[in-house]
Amino acid sequence: MLEIKEKSITISIDTNKCDTCETKACAAACKKYARGLLQIVDGKPSVEHLSAEEVLRLGTECLACEIACKFEGNKALTINIPIAGLDVYLTKRGLQ
Amino acid sequence: MAKFLEYQGKEWLAKAGIPVPKGRSASSPEEAQQAAEWIGKSVAVKGQVQAGGRGKAGIVKLVETSSEASAAAAEILVKTVKGLPVRQVLIEEKLAIKKEYYCSFVINNARDARCPMLMFSSEGGMDIESVPEELIFKMNIDPIFGLQIYDAIDFCVRAGIPNKELSKFASFLTKLSQVYKKYDCQTLEINPFVMTEDGSLICADCKMEIDNSSVGRHPEFGIKIARDLPGEVTELDMIGWSIEETDARGTGFLMNMGYDEVSPGYIGYHPIGGGSAMMGLDALNQVGLKPANYADTSGNPVGSKIYRVAKSVLSQPNIDGYLLGGFMMANQEQWHHANAIVKVLWEELPKKPGLPCVLLLCGNREDESMEILRKGLAELMTSDGIGKRIEIYGKEHVTDTKFIGQRLLALAKEYRAEKDAQGK
Repeated sequence: MLEIKEKSITISIDTNKCDTCETKACAAACKKYARGLLQIVDGKPSVEHLSAEEVLRLGTECLACEIACKFEGNKALTINIPIAGLDVYLTKRGLQ
Repeated sequence: MAKFLEYQGKEWLAKAGIPVPKGRSASSPEEAQQAAEWIGKSVAVKGQVQAGGRGKAGIVKLVETSSEASAAAAEILVKTVKGLPVRQVLIEEKLAIKKEYYCSFVINNARDARCPMLMFSSEGGMDIESVPEELIFKMNIDPIFGLQIYDAIDFCVRAGIPNKELSKFASFLTKLSQVYKKYDCQTLEINPFVMTEDGSLICADCKMEIDNSSVGRHPEFGIKIARDLPGEVTELDMIGWSIEETDARGTGFLMNMGYDEVSPGYIGYHPIGGGSAMMGLDALNQVGLKPANYADTSGNPVGSKIYRVAKSVLSQPNIDGYLLGGFMMANQEQWHHANAIVKVLWEELPKKPGLPCVLLLCGNREDESMEILRKGLAELMTSDGIGKRIEIYGKEHVTDTKFIGQRLLALAKEYRAEKDAQGK
């Protein structure tokens, strides 16, 4: 599992699923919609060519990689976007 | 602007050495009685709301005894003024008033000014709008050096203050101008400030509004949200503020519009930009739908910020629909909206199957954005899918508020009927 932390989100990639992915749509989307942080190394997405600081600085949190992976790739990538207070809001209303 | 209630403003004035009447706030008749006993003389009981015309609304009363203060507070604390419930009263000593004056410090935005401005009138104690223009004296204040005492004296001469009072008035106005600067005010209005029978100048009222951008410099104010809100801070307002507070990457504004979370006819409202927001409200108003909230994701915000706003909008209970109102052509890259909306709807529609979602997106990168929406939502938008009431529109309806409103209404009626049939 690859975890990439941007300023306010965490990208999790189950890289085991990436071996059989033919499109590598996440990296293409990252290049098209953002700054190309994700690169394909040995068939898997990677940000190893960047330092953690560079990932933070360059990451645009565009969410395109998740959408691309979901609809064109192997559904290996999820992005967690915390929203302060929303869980409490929903719990109070019995919606959680 | 962050606005203070009268009693809060007066507390800050007092801390800065400006004379205010002896008094304190109370939230119950009992507290009001105790405050009146502490003052030990005739008092004024003044309802505290962010609204003008409090006297006309009957929430300012003069009483002689502490028990009368308690009764007056009980009467005022159940009232609502301009939709705002009165939660507190200010109990303060009744002043022996000789004359009332008006002064305010505001920002003069005129191109040749761009500085604070002092306005003064000897016709205080009434609506300043009703005072003849020739009786209101104005002076721009140097933003660097502030109001100097000699300028204040000149000003007071011009305003007709008698010679023997010049020093007193000039000193009073100069001190107020220092407070205005110290607290980073946008508005500081004292109407009236009064001369008492013994010749003292005292602030009998106080309207203090702080520049939102300066709130970070003033932790002492304890301001939770540096925003103009129509009423008290709600949980949704707090969520909205948390989205904005530490993330300056475009706008992600979200606030409650006072819906009751039970009644039908409210729409989760997500416009993109100010002009678009007004057109979206037109769309809703024309067909009798109401916005549960106000939002705005503009200025090219990042996808995560748009996601947070959209998710919060859609999380509101009992809404009859969701409107992404991208009226007008946006310069920002709309594909960030498209990606965020696809993610949110995949997460939220399972909780609200069949919720009407009218998505209007136009502007820069529109074709790519439409492709993301259509491709990303296709699986949900089947005739029996949880997204069966999603409708996607682009530039062909960019200013068509009537059409968008009518589509949303038709879908909302269908949705409500379906829920009613299911007993939900």
